[in-house]
Amino acid sequence: MEITQDNAPNNPSTTIVTCPACGLLCDNVSVEIKQSRIRVLNTACPKSIQFFEQALSDDSPKINGESTTLKQAISHAASLLKASKNPLFAGLSTDVQGFRAIYNLANKTNGNLQHINAQSMARNMAVLQSSGWQTTTLTEVKNRADVIVCIGTDIISHNTRFFERFVWLNNQKSDAMFTDSGKREVIYIGENLNTKAGISPDGRQPESVNCSKSDLPEILAVLRALIMGKNLKAQNVAGIQISDLIAVADKLRQAKYAVLAWIAKDLDFPHAALTIQSITETVTLLNQNDSNRTGRAAGLSLGGSDGDTSANNASTWLSGFSLNNDNIEHDALVWINSFNAKKLPEKTKHPLIVLGNANTKFEQTPDVFIPVTTPGLDCSGTLFRVDSAVILPLKKIRENNLPTLSEIARQIEGLL
Amino acid sequence: MGADGVVQDIYIRNGKIIAKPASHEKISQTFDLAGKIVMAGAIDMHSHIGGGKVNIARMMLPEFQETKNYSEPEAHICTPNCSHHATPNTSDTGFRYIEMGYTAAFEPAILPINARQAHLEMADTPMIDKGGYAMLGNDDYFLRLLSSNADQKAINDYVAWTLHATQAIGIKVVNPGGISAFKFNQRRLDLDENHSHYQISPRQILKSLSRAVHDLGIAKPLHVHCNNLGAAGNFETTLNTMGASDGVPMHLTHIQFHSYGTEGDKKFSSAAAQISEALNRNKHITADVGQILFGQTVTASGDSMMQHLNAKLANPKKSVIMDIECDAGCGVVPFKYRDQNYVNALQWAIGLEIFLSVEDPWRIFLTTDHPNGAPFTSYPHLIRLLMDKSFRNDAFAKLNLDAQAMSNLTSLNREYSLYEIAIMTRAGAAKLIGLNDRGHLGAGAAADITIYTDQSDREAMFAKPDYVFKDGELVVKDGKVVKVVWGKTHTAKPAFDIGVEQGLKQYFDKYHTIQLDNFKISNDEIAEDGRGGIINHTN
Ligand SMILES: [Zn+2]
Ligand SMILES: [Zn+2]
Repeated sequence: MEITQDNAPNNPSTTIVTCPACGLLCDNVSVEIKQSRIRVLNTACPKSIQFFEQALSDDSPKINGESTTLKQAISHAASLLKASKNPLFAGLSTDVQGFRAIYNLANKTNGNLQHINAQSMARNMAVLQSSGWQTTTLTEVKNRADVIVCIGTDIISHNTRFFERFVWLNNQKSDAMFTDSGKREVIYIGENLNTKAGISPDGRQPESVNCSKSDLPEILAVLRALIMGKNLKAQNVAGIQISDLIAVADKLRQAKYAVLAWIAKDLDFPHAALTIQSITETVTLLNQNDSNRTGRAAGLSLGGSDGDTSANNASTWLSGFSLNNDNIEHDALVWINSFNAKKLPEKTKHPLIVLGNANTKFEQTPDVFIPVTTPGLDCSGTLFRVDSAVILPLKKIRENNLPTLSEIARQIEGLL
Repeated sequence: MGADGVVQDIYIRNGKIIAKPASHEKISQTFDLAGKIVMAGAIDMHSHIGGGKVNIARMMLPEFQETKNYSEPEAHICTPNCSHHATPNTSDTGFRYIEMGYTAAFEPAILPINARQAHLEMADTPMIDKGGYAMLGNDDYFLRLLSSNADQKAINDYVAWTLHATQAIGIKVVNPGGISAFKFNQRRLDLDENHSHYQISPRQILKSLSRAVHDLGIAKPLHVHCNNLGAAGNFETTLNTMGASDGVPMHLTHIQFHSYGTEGDKKFSSAAAQISEALNRNKHITADVGQILFGQTVTASGDSMMQHLNAKLANPKKSVIMDIECDAGCGVVPFKYRDQNYVNALQWAIGLEIFLSVEDPWRIFLTTDHPNGAPFTSYPHLIRLLMDKSFRNDAFAKLNLDAQAMSNLTSLNREYSLYEIAIMTRAGAAKLIGLNDRGHLGAGAAADITIYTDQSDREAMFAKPDYVFKDGELVVKDGKVVKVVWGKTHTAKPAFDIGVEQGLKQYFDKYHTIQLDNFKISNDEIAEDGRGGIINHTN
């Protein structure tokens, strides 16, 4: 990966980069690079700004909080892993290459792997593994969707630029091939959602079905029943008029391309997988061709960050299994937080090794802390977008002396 | 090329086969292969080994990973550590292939937008060489070009650009126009039926793409997955498709799935005779079979339109159907083929009827469309079915009786020779793809060599070679891997007019969701870690 940087130290240069801060992986972010200071120029996305504008602080490895050499830190980490019977490699906030190296290290040490987003990932995997689903990807949404339902989420709390990039398009620069983007219908189902982004450019308000999170399972089950063609005797469900849901069902049936979007992290209630399944089954029913329908429908799982989609995909091809491991017994904890200094390990009574973001401020001093590069900032790398269809290269954009996670993992492995 | 039953010495230096060296040159190591059968490493020209839909299949079917052993009677001869379910992880894929003497496999359905994932997975697949065919013909960029009557040169440039950008060696079209039409809610698309939005037909797509591939001068003909996959009566579409390219070469893939008639009480019959006869007559057409074998597998296809129809037959009952990036789609449907099921039994017989009725082994290829017809680990069993008539007829006698009544398989007496097997799985495949230095044992060839002990049980023989050499290194001994190597990625990069990027850039900026530059996969990405590397087969 080249850096388009001239060598005059005070001359800032600009370059287009890919942002790993959320699952959308926006690859049109323009940044100004001045020595190691980076400024985001063309987006107000707070996640993007926070990511690219993070400072590069003390990069020295530490043993019990005291600075040490990289060699000593690696050898101490290796000795802790040698003494461990079943370490847990957690956090796993890294890219494909980093994950691959940690996967190998875990194999060598009889370790288990658990991503920081394990819980929300498991909700989606439970649905995939019990019934499968019919889904779509972001470019299809941009070009086809005429009805978009945001279920239990406002989307923008996770994916700031979703509406800007894929829904309300500036027809000069960006457009939809098969639909009039300004005429799309946006429907929200849920509580306390920030629906501002759903207002069309000409000021049309989105539809909202306001219901509490805990009522979502029931409301989505009713919506599915309506699409199935069932006649319901009740007038309302969980405080919502059935007629409101019938109106939503009609819109879905009349759509040329309806998209039902959810974010597993926002569906944080017991048995959330069943609610996701209600959504995906609604899509499947809409796609059955025996109901005089003239359109298509698709599900869309959004959110995603800390390389969760990458770790899940890489785990799947390397091991044959998706990454979905909760509550694992372990006697040592290896925490990986390459992307985000604020993601801290849980308190542990076991030896703690952290391979992560140099800016991490700990609540519990790790036995070993080795600062590593952040992919997309300090080193190149590869990440999956939240829809799993698109995989993008990340660039190195600032000078640094940090080792990569892969280098450290390999060196530790070499000492075992 | 063409050494059949010849007894001779083979010399290897720096990974290549060389002519007999001068007498003063020292030979550092010798293997005594007296009485052994020596072949080039086998090449699987169509096997879904990497990329989005294969990984979705793995993800969706954790139960497959638990079943280490294939309990069906069809199982091949197992080696220790054998996991040969339908969705092996990347290292198992490489290990199972090399243990059978295969030294290369080609992923036939790379979605251009998803090519980076396919290459990441192939990079993690040890032991064998790999490569892939990029899917076009359902992407909106191409369909817009074709429907706006763009000239052939514009199409050719776009096809060549795609080969470069995706690091592929061939071009595939899946259900021409159909994947896109499904996004507009069309549920079937016939060869001469129009796509409802673009008002162009699959025939026009085939004509344009086959011409482009031909004009660019790459070896691999357009790889065609015909319209109407799996549908009773689809053989007519297949026959008509052979004529869609005006004599320009095309390869019809997994043709077994496209050779169905509508005769009999069940309105499902074998059209293998018509298809084979047409293959024998149409010298510009090649085909691989896509044999089914009984047992549990999963079908992973770019054909979202037809897989959506098949989803009702899923076993276990789950499936994934995706629309992908105005580029293509996919459908992943687990499937259990049963010998007592009329349709499945007849599918089995149809595949074998085609194998035995197509005369030229250079134009028919041995595949199960892994994992769609069966896992690739069943190849030794399939080879025995082709080489051993009594074994085949014994298997046939166990099938669903109604299916037996509808097949002429027992009247086909042909038994493939070792030489024909070598052509079909080595020389022919290398020639088709354009791997000039593979598939044969002549001087200058890469030293990918497999050595078998001649056994009357051909399944046992092909399941467990004595030795396998990859690029001159001994990597398998007695059916077990003794050294891990990583193999290379084969590509084709014909010249093209870079001006094609102007239109592409505008299109990407306006309609796509990534930058054009990020769509392209660099050589460095594939050579990453010093493990992989690229071989370009363009002259
Ligand atoms: Zn086996
Ligand atoms: Zn295939």
